Amino acid sequence: MQNWVRDNGLGLFFGAIFLATLVGQALVGHADFNHDQLRHHDDPISLGRYVLSSDFGSDVMENWQSEYLQFTLYILMTVWLLQRGSPESKKPGIQGLESDQDQKVGEHTTAQSPSWARFGDWRTALYSNSLLIVMVAIWLGSWSVQSITGHNAYNATQFDHQQAAVSWLGYVGTSDFWNRTLQNWQSEFLAVGSMAVLSIYLRQRGSPESKPVGSPHAATGTES
Amino acid sequence: MLLPLTALVLAGCGQSSDRAAARAATERFLTAFRADDGAAACAALSSETRKALAREESGPCPETVGALELDGGAVTKVQVAVTNAKVDLAGGESVFLSEQAAGWRISALGCRPDGPPTTVPFACELEA
Repeated sequence: MQNWVRDNGLGLFFGAIFLATLVGQALVGHADFNHDQLRHHDDPISLGRYVLSSDFGSDVMENWQSEYLQFTLYILMTVWLLQRGSPESKKPGIQGLESDQDQKVGEHTTAQSPSWARFGDWRTALYSNSLLIVMVAIWLGSWSVQSITGHNAYNATQFDHQQAAVSWLGYVGTSDFWNRTLQNWQSEFLAVGSMAVLSIYLRQRGSPESKPVGSPHAATGTES
Repeated sequence: MLLPLTALVLAGCGQSSDRAAARAATERFLTAFRADDGAAACAALSSETRKALAREESGPCPETVGALELDGGAVTKVQVAVTNAKVDLAGGESVFLSEQAAGWRISALGCRPDGPPTTVPFACELEA
C-alpha cells in the first residue's frame, strides 16, 4: 500500500486537491448564488439544489473545457512546432510524426510494448493518436455541457428581467458565451506559452518539466 | 458524448416537476382571479409582487388584485430556467415566476413584449 501511494503520488495529489477545490467552489458558489437571490428579494436555495443547477455546472465546465483545450493543443503543436532551448520542445530536426522505428510501432515493438502498437493496422493508427482523441473528446464534451448549462443560466437571468428566452443556437452566439469561453482560453494559452519560453532560461532543480540546472540555455528538449 | 447527454437528462428531469409547479401556480392565480377570490389570487404572488400591488393600488392585495387588467387565457407554454420561469397564456400575455421557499410564486403578470422580446423587458401590468 505504501509503495502504491508512493508510485502514484502525482495522480493522487492532484486528484485530492481537485476534489477539495471542487467542494470549495461549490460552497462559495452557493453562498454567492444565494447572496444574489437575496439582492433580488428571492429566497436562498439549498446546497444540493445549487450543485445540480446550471449555474454551478456552467462555472465548472467553462474551466474544464479550457484546460482540456490547452493540453490538446499542447500535445498537438509540440509534434510539429519547436521552441529552441525549451525542455518542453522536441530537439530540432525531428519535427513531425517520426519514423516507426523511433516510435516503436509495427515490427519495431518490444516485448513490453502495448499490443495495439504491434498490429500495424487501424488499431495502431488509433492507439498512436489515442491521447489526443480522448483529450479532444473531453474538451468538446465539457464545452458542449458549458453551452447547455450556460444557456439555462442565461435564460434564468432573462426571465428575472422579464425578457424572453433565447434558443440554444442564439445563446452560443451571445457575448456571454464567448466572454466566458475566451476569458478562460486566453489565460490557458498564456500559462502554457510562458512555461515553454521561461523554461529556456529558468530552472527548477529536480523537476522533469525543467532542464538540469547546469544545462545551457540553448539545449532543447532532453539535450543537456 | 456522455457529458452533454447526462447534462441534458439531468436538466430535463429536474425541470419537468418545476414546469408542472410553475404551471399550477399560474393556473391557481388565474382561477382565483376569475372567481374574484382575492386572498387565493394573492397567495400565488410573491411577497415582493404583493408589496408592489399594494403600493400601486394603495390597498391590501386581496382587496386590490381584482383591479388588475388581465387578458388571461389557458396556459400555452411553460419554460423553466434554474429558479425562474415564464408561462405564456392564450390571450397573448406572459407571466413570470420565481421559485421561493414556499414554492413557485408569480413575480410579474400581464406582460407583453415592448420591443425585441429577448433584449427589451416586457411591459407588465404588475411586477415586483
